[in-house]
Amino acid sequence: MKALALGILAALILLTAPGSQALAAEASEAPGAKPLAVGTAFPDVPLIGPVSPELADSLGIPQNGPTPIAKVKAEALIVEIFSMYCPFCQRDTPTVNELAALIDKRGLAGRVKIIGIGAGNSDTEVDIFRKKFKVPFALFSDATFAVHSAVGQVGTPYYYVLKKTPQGFTIVAAHLGLIHSPADFLADVVAKAGL
Amino acid sequence: MRRIVPLLTLAALLWIAPAMAADPIPGGLAGNIYPVPTLPPTDSQLAVAVGSPMPDFDLPTITGGRVKLSDYLGKKNLVITFVPAAWTPVCSGQWPGYNIARDIFEDNDAALIGITLDNIPTLYAWTRQMGDLWFPVASDFWPHGGLAQKLGILRSDGVSERALFLVDKKGVIRFIDVHDINARPDLGPLLEAMAKVHAEK
Repeated sequence: MKALALGILAALILLTAPGSQALAAEASEAPGAKPLAVGTAFPDVPLIGPVSPELADSLGIPQNGPTPIAKVKAEALIVEIFSMYCPFCQRDTPTVNELAALIDKRGLAGRVKIIGIGAGNSDTEVDIFRKKFKVPFALFSDATFAVHSAVGQVGTPYYYVLKKTPQGFTIVAAHLGLIHSPADFLADVVAKAGL
Repeated sequence: MRRIVPLLTLAALLWIAPAMAADPIPGGLAGNIYPVPTLPPTDSQLAVAVGSPMPDFDLPTITGGRVKLSDYLGKKNLVITFVPAAWTPVCSGQWPGYNIARDIFEDNDAALIGITLDNIPTLYAWTRQMGDLWFPVASDFWPHGGLAQKLGILRSDGVSERALFLVDKKGVIRFIDVHDINARPDLGPLLEAMAKVHAEK
C-alpha cells in the first residue's frame, strides 16, 4: 500500500512539475504580431525617456531622448520589448538582471549592452517597473506603442539581439518569452553576434 | 503484485501525461484570452462627478468576503478600478501592472479594489492566472451592475466602462477617468491625484 501511494505521488509530481507545462504560454501574446526577421535591419526607432547619467554614458547617448537607437554604442545590443503590465515580463526580470550581471562578470560590458523598451508604457510606468525590480540597465518608454508597432507588434517579453554594422543594427537572433538560462542566452548572443 | 500495482499506475499516468500536455488550448492567462473587436470608446453617461459623494456599495469578493465603502471611510483613500470583463485583452493586462505598484498605493495611504460585472467563479478563475493580487477583487454581478449603474458607467451591453475612481477618506470622489474601453489608462494621472489627496492635511 505504501508503495502504491509512493507510485501515485511520483506520477502526480511528474504531471504537475513545471516541465509538464512546457506548452503553456510563457509570454503575453500580441494579436497581429509579425516579428522582424533575423538577418534584416532593425528599424532606427527612437529611445524615449530619461536615463541616469551613468547609463547614458555607458550607451553613449544623451540623458534625455528621443535618441535614435543606431546611436547606441555597442557591438551587440539586446533589446527587450516588455510591459510593466505583463506578468511574464515581471517574472522574467530577475533573470534578465542576472544576464546583465553576467555580461559584466564576463568582461563584456563594453561590447554587449541591454536596453528595455516598455510597449505602451509611459515614463511613470517604466519607472515603476525599474524601481520594483531594481533593473540595472536602461529602460525606455513607448506610451503610444509606436516603437512596438515598428518592431513587429511582438508579444512580451520579446528579445531582439542586434549586431552593429556600418549601416546600423542588424537582427541576428530573436526570442519570445522567458529566458531560462542567462548563460545559454549570453553564449548565443556572443556566437550570433560573432564576438 | 503489491510491487507491480504502483508501477502500473505510474506507467499509466506517464502514458496519459503527453496527451494532457498536448491539449490544443494552451494554459494560463495568455493562452485563453477571448478576442474582442474595437468597441465604441464609451457607452454610458456618468452619474457622478469629481466632488460628488461616492455611492455606497457592499460587494462580494473572490475570497468569500465583502468590500464596503464604510470599510474605508475615515481610514484610507480608496481607488476603485473597474475593468469591463474577465478574459478579455486589455483587462487581462491591467491589474497585473497594479500588482507591482502596491508600494505607491501604500505610500499614499490608499487602498485599491478591482471590480468587474462578472460573477465570482469567473473572476476567481481569471485572477488566479495573474498570480497573487494584493488587492481585493469584487463582483458587481448581482443585482447586475448595481454599483456601475449608480456611477453611470454601465454600458448598454451589460459590461462596465474601463474606469478609475479615487475616493478620499471623507467619501468624496476626487478623480475620475472613464477611459476609452479599448486602451489601458496610463497610471501617471491617477498617481498624481493620489499624491495630491494624500498631501492634504
